[in-house]
Amino acid sequence: MKQFIDSVLKSKIRKAMPVMTHPGIEALGYTVKQAVSDGRIQYEAIKYIADNFDTIACMSMMDLTVEAEAFGAKINFPEHEIPTVSERLLADAAAISELKVPTLDAGRIPQYLLANRLAAENIRNKPVFSGCIGPFSLAGRLYDMSEIMVAIYIEPDAMEQLLSKCTEFMINYCLALKATGTQGVIIAEPAAGLLSGDDCMTCSTQFVKRIVDAVQDDTFTVILHNCGNTGQCTHAMIESGARALHFGNAIDMQQVLTDCPADILVFGNLDPVTVFKQGTPESIQSDTKVLMEKAGKYSNFVFSSGCDLPPFTPEINIRAFLNAVNQYQ
Amino acid sequence: MNKELLEKLSECVEFGKINQASPYPPQMKGQPGADEITREALESGIDPSEILNDALVFAMNKVGQKYSENKIFVPQMLLSAKAMSASMAHLKPFFASGAVKRKGTFIIGTVFGDLHDIGKNLVAMMVEGAGWEVIDLGIDVKAEQFVDALKAHPDAVIGVSALLTTTMVNIKPVIEAIKAYSPSTKIIVGGAPLSSDFAAAIGADGYSKNPQEGIELLDKISA
Repeated sequence: MKQFIDSVLKSKIRKAMPVMTHPGIEALGYTVKQAVSDGRIQYEAIKYIADNFDTIACMSMMDLTVEAEAFGAKINFPEHEIPTVSERLLADAAAISELKVPTLDAGRIPQYLLANRLAAENIRNKPVFSGCIGPFSLAGRLYDMSEIMVAIYIEPDAMEQLLSKCTEFMINYCLALKATGTQGVIIAEPAAGLLSGDDCMTCSTQFVKRIVDAVQDDTFTVILHNCGNTGQCTHAMIESGARALHFGNAIDMQQVLTDCPADILVFGNLDPVTVFKQGTPESIQSDTKVLMEKAGKYSNFVFSSGCDLPPFTPEINIRAFLNAVNQYQ
Repeated sequence: MNKELLEKLSECVEFGKINQASPYPPQMKGQPGADEITREALESGIDPSEILNDALVFAMNKVGQKYSENKIFVPQMLLSAKAMSASMAHLKPFFASGAVKRKGTFIIGTVFGDLHDIGKNLVAMMVEGAGWEVIDLGIDVKAEQFVDALKAHPDAVIGVSALLTTTMVNIKPVIEAIKAYSPSTKIIVGGAPLSSDFAAAIGADGYSKNPQEGIELLDKISA
């Protein structure tokens, strides 16, 4: 994996990796519900992306509920949208104290490990990245996102305990993902983007860093994604130790690239909704050109969407984006 | 004395001091919070309208401004909203009796099919803090629930939220149902994937990208 990062850094050609699995699911005639429930179907979708799009790498799904479900959260499964947590699992500090860290056979975790293993075994033309939720975002899903925002100040000890349990599970899960043979993991920590830089450091970074320290090496890279960050969390993201950082569309990439060390890969950040889904091939070409002018001179920059491409994003737009990345070098 | 109490209350709301037991903010630890000070203000004879307008609305406006300028973030904003709610609980009898008038009524909910609520909650709290009565219908709200709420509050403005690209399209039938029942009712929309163009295309009367913009939009609509 170090070789992959070094090759990107040394290359004069900028590459692209939009965050996407939905186009594969749709092209193969599956529903999202099938893909998040069946590891073989998810693998087929990943393989389709790997085979049919000129991207620098591909990735497994990030539905961001599989980990909460393993802890016991109830999940709602729409046919064509990513699942959501349907009710709060933990009501108070006592519930946190009693919470057991789940084993890796809970819920859909085995299906996700299967999808990652099949992808790692069968996709040989580019790296495969696993996907998972970050510890603060997971804790928010278990405790309620609005409530955890207040609880980090009102009940800091209970939140520390919850975050530690989430982190313990995420370390185990990421080690299992690593064992499937993928080349890295994208840790999505969107809720941390709602925090100040200091709170991000306290409530997210120090826990993400434990995961990074446990799994990252020359064969396995952590890509930390925080799409809520508008600039206040960039320093905290860098401090995580992740070798690659992924940014959302709410941030100025030129500023990010100035702020980030040159040996960290930086991914970002065209709007997945207004640019990819609602745009046209012409508008996306134009938006890609603007991003190239801002960020293309940085050798550690990789073109990407600011977040997961939504269901039913027109494939023609994705191809226009990839063509534009090649065209505007 | 009155002015001093209102200033203390305003400070509690601005900095999120809910009550004496709350450890936040650290510099006010052990001091009375919005809960205790509101009670004291009412016992000392301060007009509830003054409490609402000169302390709560004043403080929440500062909170909204600071949030818009990235000087505070979601936790600080929610703590301020909690402090405001602790104060507002003491004012409820005066709202019910009509002794205190609010700017209007705002019905809000996350559209059917969508279970996300943090953005909707922020807007609801900030709008309440701006002096509106807020009827929060929660998440996964169907068109008929909005219409039923409108029947109970005929002069209300309605806010509809969505977080997903697959659920934002559900806002249009909600708007159509509300307009079919009451063409003059104003409807504003918001949520991460929405835009002003999308809002206009589905027949909404306005779009706001953050709570503060939502408050300004409501003030404009109700003027």
